[in-house]
Amino acid sequence: MSKPDRPQGAPAGTKRIPTPTEPDVDVIVVGAGPAGAAAALVLARAGRSVYLLERGPFPGSKNMYGGVIYGRILDTLIPRWWEEAPVQRWVTRRATMVMTPTQALTIDYRTAAWGEAPYNGATAFRPDFDAWLADHAVAAGATLVPSTTAVGLLRGDRGQIVGVQTDRPDGDLTARLVIACDGVNSFLAKEAGLYHHPEAEHFTLGAKEVLALPRDEIEKRFGLRGLEGADFEIIGCTPGIAGGGFIYTNLESVAVGVVLSLEDLKRSGKRPEELIAGLKAHPAVAPLVEGAELTEYSAHLIPEAGLHMMPELYGPGMLVAGDAGAFCLAAGIWLEGVNFAIGSGKVAGEVAVQALRAGDTSATFLGRYQDALTDTFALADHIKLQGAPALVMSDNVQRRYPELVCSLVESLFTVTNPTPKKGALRLAREAAKGSGVRLRDLARDGWAALRSYG
Amino acid sequence: MAEPAGPAGPTIAVALKWVDLRPDIDRVTGATHHDVRFFGCSAADQAALEHALRIGERFGWPVVAVSAGPAEADAVLRDALAVGASAAIRVDIEAGARSQHSAAALHDALATIDGLRLVCCGDWSLDRGSGSVPAFVAAHLGWGQALGLVGVDLDGDAGDGAFTVTRRLDQGRREVLRIDGPAVLSFEGGTAELRRAPLAAVLRTRDAAIVPLAGPPAPHHRLRVVHRGPDRPRARVLPPPDASLSPRERILALTGALVERTPPRTVVCEPDDAADLILDQLRAWGYLD
Amino acid sequence: MSVHPTPSGWSEVSFEDRMALVDFRLSSRAHITVDGDACRGCTTKACVTACPANLFVPVSDGSIVFNYEQCFECGTCYLVCDESGAITWTYPDGGHGVVFHKS
Repeated sequence: MSKPDRPQGAPAGTKRIPTPTEPDVDVIVVGAGPAGAAAALVLARAGRSVYLLERGPFPGSKNMYGGVIYGRILDTLIPRWWEEAPVQRWVTRRATMVMTPTQALTIDYRTAAWGEAPYNGATAFRPDFDAWLADHAVAAGATLVPSTTAVGLLRGDRGQIVGVQTDRPDGDLTARLVIACDGVNSFLAKEAGLYHHPEAEHFTLGAKEVLALPRDEIEKRFGLRGLEGADFEIIGCTPGIAGGGFIYTNLESVAVGVVLSLEDLKRSGKRPEELIAGLKAHPAVAPLVEGAELTEYSAHLIPEAGLHMMPELYGPGMLVAGDAGAFCLAAGIWLEGVNFAIGSGKVAGEVAVQALRAGDTSATFLGRYQDALTDTFALADHIKLQGAPALVMSDNVQRRYPELVCSLVESLFTVTNPTPKKGALRLAREAAKGSGVRLRDLARDGWAALRSYG
Repeated sequence: MAEPAGPAGPTIAVALKWVDLRPDIDRVTGATHHDVRFFGCSAADQAALEHALRIGERFGWPVVAVSAGPAEADAVLRDALAVGASAAIRVDIEAGARSQHSAAALHDALATIDGLRLVCCGDWSLDRGSGSVPAFVAAHLGWGQALGLVGVDLDGDAGDGAFTVTRRLDQGRREVLRIDGPAVLSFEGGTAELRRAPLAAVLRTRDAAIVPLAGPPAPHHRLRVVHRGPDRPRARVLPPPDASLSPRERILALTGALVERTPPRTVVCEPDDAADLILDQLRAWGYLD
Repeated sequence: MSVHPTPSGWSEVSFEDRMALVDFRLSSRAHITVDGDACRGCTTKACVTACPANLFVPVSDGSIVFNYEQCFECGTCYLVCDESGAITWTYPDGGHGVVFHKS
């Protein structure tokens, strides 16, 4: 991912201008989601002038997600953040569900420790959470410019990025550095020539329903008290389509959604809301959401492929963070995004501060961003788990293994009196045969999983 | 930015209301929750602002934005400054004030504007929606009113600052009015799309200080609200019944009272059976032979 | 149209009602454009089923008509489009488009 410091070919939409000697601002951060807000916060605290552009009417207004914000990365940015962040519930119950159309095996873990400071994960409404984080950037001195879309880059004499064009009249803004946190579709990273793999196969579609239920009813159905929350990640609930599903609790609503491989969705001819309906009708899910009233339906793309789809993360005058840089971990048992956005945005802000101090925003200098990211979870986890997304989306994990484990567990616990019990090993062999899993494949995938997750 | 520029020539005022564009209404209890992030100007107020700016540009008259509301309402005034209003005045009254109180407060603001020539308003506000504030303002000023406008024609000879407006009457009729002096105008939403504010203006006005005027005391009446029911969705508009019917028959037609009706039922069945059921029902209603 | 087993007490909402729950701030500019001629040669028309907001509708002459008003701004349509360039998709003007409240 090395980046030569040379003029890029100017894609359509890019405007060439004489390199400004006195730019409007030190840094333009495009996108006030968690990545952009973290970058702007770091820069503003370092005394730099920052414009934080947001195309929605307020930060978070365009954002939705699959449920849990892991807050450890916030500890260094906003000490005791848990006392003020707009959280719905603290996740104390974390379950992974493996499903076939009629069966479900759930590994259900709960701990009181996650329900106390400093907490582990939280559910929240993104329009609340993102706005709160951006408020911190503004309080530190960043200038939030809402309802303003960045529509193109400005390049200077030598082709380096020196600002953005916005969709407002007289909307050009110049800066020493641009940080693109403009989301999963990142038109800026594409325009900068950094994005080489924006193909459908690297993305999944997340579609979600927020279903209102009375607070005490949620606590009853999910076995929760007070602000405790539950988060279920599900595999095997999207028949014929690689992906997964999720259920999590807000204070007075339950969110149910599916994550769908775009390629498979396209081939299947199924509609996203039908797949959500199918999940809600599953016997293991229906009792949890029955009678709840739909309050909001939403959808968003997810950069699913991890390291394999990552764009080049820097160019002359530009850094890329958050979903725009594919900083989203979709590795089956771990599904994380907001923390990776904050983590990458924070490092982008720190490298930007160094670059401004050095007076050098060339790609050569900004290469430090890559190195600094590798030293933190934001990139290190992606390098470590680079094999995970393909494994999770494979046909074995998606279909055969759920069938295998569900039928094995079913046969283990089905009492067949007066026929004597078969041994567990024999049942396992039969289940493997029934689901078309070859032991060789199982061993291979087990080894791959160990290498990916170990 | 808070002080009106006070030019001697004619000035246009535009009245803007800071209002919840999409309140969260609990559909069971009717309890309403407000969140300032979803507040702004209604489409009607935006249209009024755009029309005011166009009239102002045509005749070289400055536009002053006024609002009666709490401090948060400064947001809509700053937006108006960003799109081209030359000054902004807020009269400090609490959100949700009654129409007469709002109109009296707006009048206090308007009284500070030299050479006031026109007052532009949205036709009704999103939250209360009776459309009475423009009429109250006209009464305060003793001016004529042209309410519910759908268009402005600035094309004719207008050296004297006169122009024509079109307004919607009942039953689809249109009325064209000529305005050649002080007047209060109110506009329907969607009749003009508010222009986008230039970037520099947004940055310049985002922290503009708007010094509020003290609001008038709430009018004291021997009438007070002792109970207010929950918010309900606005009633659906039905076509008027046949005018040749008697009043009693018209009321019956509107209410559907005394009309035989089969209560709806929900059936769960296979698609083939569902199709048969639908056909049977259509036959029973006489749609099929 | 597929049919789902519906548990008792369940009221599935119509697609129109589903979308009516979402806050969309309309812009007069369409941020999606579709090249109907390119669509006529497309046999998959994946946009029709994949779009979570159901904005794309096939018509009898083989092309596609579309809405842009109730768009989630996800980007699925242009990524699944098989006819390169048939769908162009940009962000709506700043301040317009979808506004999520509880997602």
